[in-house]
Amino acid sequence: MSESNQTDLTRRQFVGKGAAAAAAVTVAPGVLLYGAAEARNLDQPASSDVRWGMLIDTNKCDKGCNDCVTACQTENGWGGENSNEKNSSPEQKAQWIRKVELKDISTGHTQSLPVMCQHCENPPCVDVCPTTASMKRADGVVLVDRHLCIGCRFCMMACPYKARSFVHESLTDQKAHAPRGKGCVESCNLCVHKLDAGEGVTACSVSCTKGAITVGDLNDEKSEIAQQLKNHKTTQIRADLGLNTGVRYRGI
Amino acid sequence: MKPVRKLLGLLSAALLLTMLVPNAIAEVGPIIPKAIKGKQCVEDTSEMRRNHMDYLKKHRVEALRHGVRTKQYSLKECLECHVPAKGTETSAENGQFCKNCHVFVGVKLDCFDCHATQPEPLDAKAAKLHPFATPAMKALGRIDQPHSAIVMNRLATEKREAE
Amino acid sequence: MKKVLFTQTEGGKGFYLLLAILGAIIGVGLLGTFHMEHNGHWVTGMNQQIVWGIPHVFAIFLIVAASGALNIASIGSVFGKKIYKPLGRLSALVAIALLTGGLAILVLDLGRPDRLIIAMTHYNFRSIFAWNMIFYNGFFAIVGIYIWTMMEKRMNPYSAKVGLAAFIWRLALTTATGSIFGFLVARQGFDAAIMGPMFVVMSFAYGLAFFWLVLNASYRMTGRELGGVMTKRLKNLLGVFVAGALYFTIVMHLANLYAAEHKGVEDFILNSGGIYTTLFWYGQILIGAIIPLAILYYPATGNSRCGVTFASLLVVLGGIAQMYVTVVGGQAYPLVLFPGHEVSSTFADGVINSYSPTLSEFLLGIMGIALTLALVAVAVRNLRFMPASLADSVADPHSK
Repeated sequence: MSESNQTDLTRRQFVGKGAAAAAAVTVAPGVLLYGAAEARNLDQPASSDVRWGMLIDTNKCDKGCNDCVTACQTENGWGGENSNEKNSSPEQKAQWIRKVELKDISTGHTQSLPVMCQHCENPPCVDVCPTTASMKRADGVVLVDRHLCIGCRFCMMACPYKARSFVHESLTDQKAHAPRGKGCVESCNLCVHKLDAGEGVTACSVSCTKGAITVGDLNDEKSEIAQQLKNHKTTQIRADLGLNTGVRYRGI
Repeated sequence: MKPVRKLLGLLSAALLLTMLVPNAIAEVGPIIPKAIKGKQCVEDTSEMRRNHMDYLKKHRVEALRHGVRTKQYSLKECLECHVPAKGTETSAENGQFCKNCHVFVGVKLDCFDCHATQPEPLDAKAAKLHPFATPAMKALGRIDQPHSAIVMNRLATEKREAE
Repeated sequence: MKKVLFTQTEGGKGFYLLLAILGAIIGVGLLGTFHMEHNGHWVTGMNQQIVWGIPHVFAIFLIVAASGALNIASIGSVFGKKIYKPLGRLSALVAIALLTGGLAILVLDLGRPDRLIIAMTHYNFRSIFAWNMIFYNGFFAIVGIYIWTMMEKRMNPYSAKVGLAAFIWRLALTTATGSIFGFLVARQGFDAAIMGPMFVVMSFAYGLAFFWLVLNASYRMTGRELGGVMTKRLKNLLGVFVAGALYFTIVMHLANLYAAEHKGVEDFILNSGGIYTTLFWYGQILIGAIIPLAILYYPATGNSRCGVTFASLLVVLGGIAQMYVTVVGGQAYPLVLFPGHEVSSTFADGVINSYSPTLSEFLLGIMGIALTLALVAVAVRNLRFMPASLADSVADPHSK
């Protein structure tokens, strides 16, 4: 297939020119292990061999800590004190990620955890979207194609997690890597620009000082996230719906 | 009598046009700010003037829906060359490269309802560059600025194959 | 049965006055819409939790009523009840006009109405919403042909067959419209397969009520005769439909009460939901069903045109209340992400969502109704939709 040919081409090209770079390998052998599984050439499409996911350890998540939310705001340019949604009421402002405080009604046990798009394998938002704007990438990242979004908000009705937001006014000062604008629906994109750049992390996972958020390839047995999922009991929010979410929780 | 009058009418109209039009264009033409980096666009200028939207549209589908992140025809890269970065003082005076022309020809420009009109500031980009990326970047040639992890991965594969 | 004579309505001052009034309402509605679309939806009361508001209440009501309004024509040509045949053309016309009005609202409320072309060119066949778009477009086409077969003499023989197609199509359409909500499995307020069929029965009632209002008003305005025979027939039909809709409503709520998972939302709608509870009991049940049924079946009021008209008006108001309870009430009740837990967040988790609609939303909704009426008025003025008379001598009750 053309895909593998392209890889070969790049590789050959690399061999031809890469003597200087090869030196770098020996200089820093330890770095090589990091990100080796998920990195992908820029001209290659996302592959279904990979499924991006996230594990949130609620035992490590502090009540009242909002670092992941703030980091997402800074990274993707929504909300916060200098929100570019200047006219919208608080109920109308977009929220890609939010902290939810839980209290078990029968036992009084309290917990705190972030909720965002759960990047379902069978996303209801994708099923209901009339124009295919709501979409799932081959590697499991659920996105809104704003070029096709007509702003009907049916995905917001269908999402069990309230993960989607609608932009109620004209925006300026968007981040270059995170376009967003009036009349379209948006949500957590799993920092897809970072994943595609091979960083293997999201803004929220980096920001968490307790290390409560792990990002990785669920399909790669050797990845940290797959190991954790294998060795610990984890939960999906509203698992009864059978959506097979890409975001999993530990400790709820 | 009639054909003569018609001819006269045409003539005077043509005269009027030749007198008015060049001046009009010279005065009302859009301000096109010079590119900040580089001298040559990703295709010939004439080609880009006519068909930039097709390149952009094709790329946007591949980039967003399939995750192909090449930079050649990405809108973000257009801005990198044609528009000063955020926080640059001069940016307000000349207007914006894309908007200037679109306003002049009266074609609705939808991109910037959502996309940023300016690139991120330089220092923010520099902070993201991994030191190891630089030699590998050069080695890879046509792909500029890949993240370090990609380069490292490629290096690792090569090393394994060599052994 | 005598041959029915169809005529255009007369023009003159009355006609233009009516058009001017409707045009003014449409104009003001469009201004409100422009205000909404120019500024963005922040000028409305809709928010991240109540994503569908007043415009959708009106739009869905009109769309549901559209398929119901076609019933008169169906009963005439599909089920062979000759007495309804003179009403077939007008029934199909009102159906098309209602659908146009409803869709106009829906489209103008989109976040990006300028991208309507995308909705026509990019279909997601898994989406019940995309299915609805196909049903709506098909409805225009099929009912258009249906009108043609009824109005063009040479096509008359085909009208029964086309009528059958239109009847099946409208059943599918309303089921699909109801399923927009019924298929929202995650929402406790909507998730119910019965919503599809329930919307069908409701459409019978809303459509007929709206049809009667149009019929009665246009016959009064044009000074045509509308006899007691026809009135009685339509009255009986309306009574059955309203009772049917009430029955489905009761079954749906009983079924939900039986499932522990839905107890919370049922308590919300039926007991503790404030405006939604009020609208349910006083709007949907009392005004929309009980009082109209009493009027229709009490001989003194049921046999008068005024009585039927008043009952129809109440059914329409009750229908709009029902849509508000279903659409907005279903969203106001919080989504349950963590059963058995009290939840709180900055994004309205665990709280009843508030919604205070603004003027521009109402203007958009009213505009849809005015558009519907204007279309009917222009059409009956220019084409022969209305029988010159529906006096008892024309609508013979014994001719079957």
